Amino acid sequence: MSKRAISYAVIRGKVHDADLVEFGGRGGDLRFFAPDPQKLASQLPLGSPSRMDDLYQLSFDEILDYLEELGKRLDFGKNAYMQEACELSYHTSPATPPIVRGFYTHMPAMFDRTRITQWCEMSVGIPYLEGWVETPINGSIVSIRAYGARALHVIAGNGPVIGALTLIRSAVTRSDTIIKVPSNDPFTTAAIARTMCEFAPDHPITKHLAVAYWRGGDQALEQKLYQPHNIEKIIAWGGLASVRHVTQYIQPGLELISFDPKRSASVVGADALNTDALLRETALRIATDVGACNQTACSSCRVVYVMSGTDPAGLEKISRLGKLVYEGIMGLPCDLSNKPKRYDPQLKSHVEALRLNDDWFEVIGGQDGEGAVIVSRTSDTVDFAEALADRTVNLVPVDTLEEVLGAVDSYTQTVGVFPDTLMPLVRHKMVLHGAQRFVSLGYAFNGPGLVGPQDSIEPLRRMCKWIVTERPTAALKPLWERKEGETALVA
Amino acid sequence: MQMTAAVVTTTKHPGMSDALEREARAWMEDPLSHFGMSNTRIHSVPRKEAEAVQLAALNLRLEQRRTEIPVLAKLADAQGIRSLAALEDAAPLLFDHNVYKSYPVSLLAKQRFDRLTQWLDRLTPHDLSGVDVSACKSIDEWLTLLQDRTPLDVATSSGTSGTISFFPKSKRDYTTSVRGFRAQLVQTFGNAPTQSDLHDKIHVLTPLYRDGHSSMGRFAHYLREIFCLGDDSYLYTAFSHKISSDLMWLAARLRAAAAKGDVTRVDVPETLLARRPELEAMQKNAPAQQSAFIRKVATELKGKRVFALGTTPMFYEVAQHGLADGMRGVFTPDSVVMGGGGAKGLVLPEDCDRTIMEFFGVPRMRMSYGMTELNAFTVTCEQSRYHFLPWVTLFVLDPDTGKPLPRSGVQTGRAAFFDMTHDGTWGGIVTGDKITVIWDTPCPCGRSTVYLQGGIQRFSELQGGDDKITCAATPGAQAEAMDYLLSLDL
Repeated sequence: MSKRAISYAVIRGKVHDADLVEFGGRGGDLRFFAPDPQKLASQLPLGSPSRMDDLYQLSFDEILDYLEELGKRLDFGKNAYMQEACELSYHTSPATPPIVRGFYTHMPAMFDRTRITQWCEMSVGIPYLEGWVETPINGSIVSIRAYGARALHVIAGNGPVIGALTLIRSAVTRSDTIIKVPSNDPFTTAAIARTMCEFAPDHPITKHLAVAYWRGGDQALEQKLYQPHNIEKIIAWGGLASVRHVTQYIQPGLELISFDPKRSASVVGADALNTDALLRETALRIATDVGACNQTACSSCRVVYVMSGTDPAGLEKISRLGKLVYEGIMGLPCDLSNKPKRYDPQLKSHVEALRLNDDWFEVIGGQDGEGAVIVSRTSDTVDFAEALADRTVNLVPVDTLEEVLGAVDSYTQTVGVFPDTLMPLVRHKMVLHGAQRFVSLGYAFNGPGLVGPQDSIEPLRRMCKWIVTERPTAALKPLWERKEGETALVA
Repeated sequence: MQMTAAVVTTTKHPGMSDALEREARAWMEDPLSHFGMSNTRIHSVPRKEAEAVQLAALNLRLEQRRTEIPVLAKLADAQGIRSLAALEDAAPLLFDHNVYKSYPVSLLAKQRFDRLTQWLDRLTPHDLSGVDVSACKSIDEWLTLLQDRTPLDVATSSGTSGTISFFPKSKRDYTTSVRGFRAQLVQTFGNAPTQSDLHDKIHVLTPLYRDGHSSMGRFAHYLREIFCLGDDSYLYTAFSHKISSDLMWLAARLRAAAAKGDVTRVDVPETLLARRPELEAMQKNAPAQQSAFIRKVATELKGKRVFALGTTPMFYEVAQHGLADGMRGVFTPDSVVMGGGGAKGLVLPEDCDRTIMEFFGVPRMRMSYGMTELNAFTVTCEQSRYHFLPWVTLFVLDPDTGKPLPRSGVQTGRAAFFDMTHDGTWGGIVTGDKITVIWDTPCPCGRSTVYLQGGIQRFSELQGGDDKITCAATPGAQAEAMDYLLSLDL
């Protein structure tokens, strides 16, 4: 009999695999077992906040030492936990096996010491994480320090890296962390946590991590756990429904940091279409941002506004671009992109409907569930733009940049821009409409990683509790010594 | 009501006997007359015989329509299909329901009814090229003009994705639909139709609109013709006005914006803004009309044989009010109350059916399953099962691959249909509905026709979203759109 698929609960240095209950994977692909959440519920929270103190016995360097060591131990070739989790994730992940395997293989790079150091320095400033940073203002010495909080993370499962990212963010901010893993990635984070238990079971960072699966919306458990005496912050990733669901527990003393559902788009300027060589480069850049990780990420490009114009010459150009984009997607290396696991049937029915309507839309590919390029022949996006997935992109010809702005809102995360000369103008206008991240087209997945702001918020800073101490200098005259008329209160 | 039969000019199909071809053409052209309007005869055709006629009709229609409907020609050419050896072979030729909204939405915003007409022309055998729509300033005007000048009576339906679909139904299609209702609802299965069943003027109650371009509005017109024999005083509708398609489109866009948490302003065309006073007047007394309607029904229809067609939640509301006022058993027991539909998230109370039956005085509730894109409506039998008319071919498709599942055993999947009677369009449609069919075991009610096991679910709803403003949700959506329209500063 093959081994049962278990989503282990790993709570504060201890691995739990008793009292298993069966759960279904999304899309009915795989059923898996997890320890009965009701029986673990009381063990998930830290209990007393004083128990956070051990994290403050660590220097920032020691935290980096731990993460560096963990990174080494996640070496896919040597880590049996990770190999097992990867194998099981093939069945639950929306991405295909070569892509899932790629994520697992490259995970140690996320723990690179220099990258984490630079990231913390840029986002928070290591001195604030290490101790009190003093500044004299208005006759006082103001000291500020970033403390960790007791946080619960409801993570998304579109790529098996969000658990590792959460863990790094938690360690450097000295947070106490509960991670609720999703049904489409129920194995990866626990495998990392099991690795932690193996090499440092009593380390404070290991002791401040609890990983478990329960069904999102499990009222009995969530009502008990999502309370200000257990946790101070909820960090929620995911769809509108799941984020909305969490909001019911938000009350004074319990803060929500929400990574709302996002979509991404791109803008291609007229200059990018001038020569055949440029057209080909543009196509490859689009194909890369569409195809990478099979378009499962929020930063995946789904609609491209092309400033080709809507006159016959412009339409001919964008049609040619569409064919090149299709070829580009099909030619991507298979650990970056390949034929989707299952082409969404609802999406397929939309695409097939447009295929019959070549007056206004040109559908390139898509017969075999491999992905498709839909070229609009007017400046309309397809009406199912929000459902574009499985390597399906809509190229939309526009005459002016102004037409694009209407399509940008607070749901727009990444905007890929090409050529780069267009960046300053596009960026400024789109920020006003709600867009949050700008990249050179083709580089949406090829950069520093999630080291800076995300969705226009600073997650590392938001995960911290910012504490202030004020100490008077000799120059500051006490209020009790001031005469009437001398008192000046400032806010 | 007799309509002129469409002229079918095709040569005899190879492998099809003359008798079969004659039978197929009779079913295609006017099946209700062919079966003498007899519900018993309609539902007694052995399945094998019905399927042989269906296959013959499919081949005849394909040959005819591929020359008349460019989109069908494109699809059939792409699939390399010339003729069909088995019913299953038709599956790749069924249109996805999204085809009827596959136009760029900016055409509506820019009121480009000329280009929308060209688009529609590619989906219907009727020639729309000579119709000048350049003066149309609203969806309502455009669809009314097409109604006046062509055999079409285009039916709209709104989705919450902010679009509106235009289905080229013809007047003949509507007539076929409503005659089907009359045959199935008025008669008792097993008995031959009486003169009264066939020719009596019958009171109709429908707690909706008196006219409109959505089928829920337009049905009233045909119910008056076929049930009330043209007598307007026999038709009872809750609202005396015509439901506006422009307002429905605005409602759909508002709901789409709300569903995704979009806070940006929904743009309204100038022409719709200009109609504010007219629409406001229309909408304004809707709640008053509805309560007056309930009182009127209870008094004027007391002791009458009535055919009530609507949605269950609406009948429930009417029944509750009526019972509260001390009325019960309002209609004669041989009346029919047919519900259906319902809004997502609206849970009907357990005593719903009992309340409705008690107030109206009918021994049971009938239900119907059908859609704008299909002439044939099913109604429930004595065993509460939905039976399909024999001139409709039912396909159960694998929800993932779209391939037809075997026509035997018990099959669950996506419902798709070919209705050979369609005059305004091809008649092959893939729905968004999840159904279960029991192919081999006949229903104990005695009907030989194919039936469903249990109810119908929408795939989109099963996945957490629903892309339809249902009949039951329509008045609410109209009111929201009107509120929005009135809130805009000009």
